[in-house]
Amino acid sequence: MIGTAGIGRRRISRGPRIGYAILGVSVVPILVGYAWLLIASFSRRTRGLIPTTIDGRAGGWTLDNWSFVSDGSVYRATLNSTLMALGMVVGVGIVSTLGGYAISRIRFPGRKGVLSMTLLLNAFRADMLLIAIFFVLRALGATPLVGRFIGFDTVGGVALVMVSLELPLGLWLMKGFFDNVSWDMERAALIDGASRFRAWWEIVLPQVMPGLAALSVFTFISGWNAYLIPFTYTVGTGVSNLPVFLDELIGETSPTNWNQVAAVGLFQLIPILGFYLLMQEKLLNIYSGGTKGGT
Amino acid sequence: MKIELRRLTKTWGETTAVAGVDLDIDDGEFVAFLGPSGCGKTTTLMMIAGIYQPTSGEILFDGEVVNDLAPRDRGVGMVFQSYALYPHMTVAENISYSLKLRGVDKVTRRRRAQEIADLMGIGHLLDRKPAELSGGQQQRVAVGRALVKEPRVLLFDEPLSNLDARLRLTMRSEIKRMQTELGITSIYVTHDQVEATTMADRIAVMRGGRLEAYADPDELYRRPQTLFVAGFVGNPPMNIVDAQVVGLNGGFVAQTLGIEIPLPDDRSRPVVGRRSVKMGIRPEHILVGSGPFAGEVVLVEPLGREDLVDIDVGSGTLRALADRSLGIRPRDRVSFEINSAEVQFFDPETERSLLWG
Amino acid sequence: MATVAEDSPTRRRRRRLAAVGFLTPAMVLVVAFYLIPAVLTLILSLTDLSSANFTEPWNFIGLDNYRRLFGDAFFPKILKNTLFYVFVTLGLFNVGLALVLALLTTSIPRRAGFFFRMLWLLPRITPSVVYVMMWVRMAQQPPFGIFNQLAGPFGLEPENWLFETPWLFVILTNGFVGASFGMIIFTSALESIPRDVITAARVDGASGWRLIRDMKIPLIKWPLLFVATYQTMSLLTSFEYILLLTEGGPGLFTTEVWALTSYKRALGTYFGNNQWGYGAAWGFVLVVIGFLFSLLYVKIFRFNQLVKEPLIE
Repeated sequence: MIGTAGIGRRRISRGPRIGYAILGVSVVPILVGYAWLLIASFSRRTRGLIPTTIDGRAGGWTLDNWSFVSDGSVYRATLNSTLMALGMVVGVGIVSTLGGYAISRIRFPGRKGVLSMTLLLNAFRADMLLIAIFFVLRALGATPLVGRFIGFDTVGGVALVMVSLELPLGLWLMKGFFDNVSWDMERAALIDGASRFRAWWEIVLPQVMPGLAALSVFTFISGWNAYLIPFTYTVGTGVSNLPVFLDELIGETSPTNWNQVAAVGLFQLIPILGFYLLMQEKLLNIYSGGTKGGT
Repeated sequence: MKIELRRLTKTWGETTAVAGVDLDIDDGEFVAFLGPSGCGKTTTLMMIAGIYQPTSGEILFDGEVVNDLAPRDRGVGMVFQSYALYPHMTVAENISYSLKLRGVDKVTRRRRAQEIADLMGIGHLLDRKPAELSGGQQQRVAVGRALVKEPRVLLFDEPLSNLDARLRLTMRSEIKRMQTELGITSIYVTHDQVEATTMADRIAVMRGGRLEAYADPDELYRRPQTLFVAGFVGNPPMNIVDAQVVGLNGGFVAQTLGIEIPLPDDRSRPVVGRRSVKMGIRPEHILVGSGPFAGEVVLVEPLGREDLVDIDVGSGTLRALADRSLGIRPRDRVSFEINSAEVQFFDPETERSLLWG
Repeated sequence: MATVAEDSPTRRRRRRLAAVGFLTPAMVLVVAFYLIPAVLTLILSLTDLSSANFTEPWNFIGLDNYRRLFGDAFFPKILKNTLFYVFVTLGLFNVGLALVLALLTTSIPRRAGFFFRMLWLLPRITPSVVYVMMWVRMAQQPPFGIFNQLAGPFGLEPENWLFETPWLFVILTNGFVGASFGMIIFTSALESIPRDVITAARVDGASGWRLIRDMKIPLIKWPLLFVATYQTMSLLTSFEYILLLTEGGPGLFTTEVWALTSYKRALGTYFGNNQWGYGAAWGFVLVVIGFLFSLLYVKIFRFNQLVKEPLIE
């Protein structure tokens, strides 16, 4: 018995070392990739990881790739990206907190069905129904008053589509967070005289703020990086967002000026990185309320 | 406010939580719902509050059926076991939330919150958040919140379970004192029979969703109608043994555990002649020190003023309360007598009392 | 006084009203961007609508598009590719590696675990265009390719790896992004296992692999199932990275998956004009496949168990 205890001890101290090794190996591609990105954005050309000049000699450091920062062409796209992403955050936030609360905490006929529905919706992702959604957007654009902002080829329209794309996950996550709010607290609110809606707004919602914050951060990131949907549903250059702008940039010169692309890419990545570094804790805890289920 | 429960039933799918409870509560009365966990006492309370909908049956406040009223329209105040304070609001805001919902202005709200807080002894904590308070203080905020709306009935759901023993005693008397002063009809759910007997005017004992007994504490103690009530009410619990009551020398004795206990006539007549009965003897009615019976002490549990001793009388064990001064220790041989004027008898099958209706 | 019937109409009405209010925004979006498009796609798939004739009234051609679809020479290959891609990536990365990462990063000191998870989240938060570009760069032939540059000294034959082993890169690119979703969820789940349970297991003698197999994995059953379900759908319907990386090539449909085909048929210009009707047929079949899979998952994993009844009526 004493012998086995000793063996256990030895194995435990080896464990972390193996863990580090495996983890270390796994992140090599990531590190290499980003190292290249950084280097490429500041050099004329690269050969592998080595920055070079146009004709291939080592060196070639330059700031030329970043000229777009001062020439301003990228700022319209940045603004659009910001608007889309923020619009998404607001939209997803509202819809998910309202819907998630109902699924989690209101008894109504068909409740189980709605819950299964949020899982099944994943099969109908917008990526598959692109053409049909185009028609829907066109119809929306024709509605009086608001049509100008939510139709095809508008920032609003794109935001709407992206909000609905996030719906299944948003609803599921918020439902999970609402599941963990104390019933006694909500009962106390009802006894105090609140309506269900007021109880939601003043008592229950404040308790899920951390979860909502984390959801918002992820939604913002999705919105900021979105490529396919904005690409499909915008035509004018005034309406494109950063990834689409980047894509256009790639196609502009032939052969592609990878280094410039790297610079713009980094430009797009930096705000997110900053955001991310500030919010790591919240992000990495986002799903703790969501899928515990039986635990 | 009078409360009446008529054939109140609650089922969750296959399970029955409350099965046909009939109960009347008088205006200003303090009633305890007492029973083990799962007996349906909290479910009944929730139905009275309007949180749960009865499956069938009626709840009447002052003669009016309130089944369809939402909690906010019933005029109830409730104190939860977990306090359920609103963590993001201050004490003042917690207490006055119900007033805010009614549209009362800020100044009045603050004033009322101060009044109630002072009444509960926490007037100096109005601007703190619940997380900054101790358990006892949080409890008082919870009570204050229930009182501020001048409710018609106060509902308590095991409010003292989360407090340490000392605090529990203090809060118990405070709640009782306050209820008596304010005269608000109150229902107090608990599994602790000491709480129930010290605080309540009447106790509703529940088991398995049914109402087992409904009477004042004294009645439940001295004239329990079922075996369950007899064993549940009274601390330490009653000794229950198999016995046979026979006539002997012009009187009656109970034969049990190898001894014969003389019984008064009025206790014996309803029971004599039955093949076997369940007999209940409370530890406090077994007088240790001298007497016709003897046994060996197996276990001594000091309770401070008294000792709870387990006595092996040969064919069984009896628990008795003995005075500390006797200095009883395990393996001592002791003599004892039994105050048979207080023994109880129950039918072994129906578990109903053979002495009282 | 008569006994009041169970669950009076007033209460039920009130509840239903409340639920409807809360769910309306979600339902509006579901109808507008899921239900209607699904129906529309079905309708579209029954026409020969394309960018050439969309100004004319729609011409219904019945099931012709479907006949064409199932008769297409590459249909079996695309189907095979799709199933291969989805389940290999799911098993290796989205669930497999995710689980490994979660287990490893929770068994090393907290800060270190944090650091590695942060690194692993980078692929997910990088814009797809840039991310794919990095991988392309890594796979390129000399003198540009990074992989060749680093591995050359070890005697590796320089190739354009993307061309040589396209599937490897398709799976790697999607996998590296996909793994982070599961990693986050599993990490949270693992961290919320009460310490006492693990301690008890250790005292019982479990350690290392036994601990993982007998304790940790069973205890995170629900998150595991959820991730498997969600990611299957994700992989089935995603094609953005493949589009950017290989466009389904190299050559003819080497790495073409169903979702990509649908997109290309509808919005690509390979066949002269955008064949919306035909693309819609591909899309609709995929939706049906996805829906059936989801249904299967929900039934098999009995997700209904996760639903607890609300405790306010």
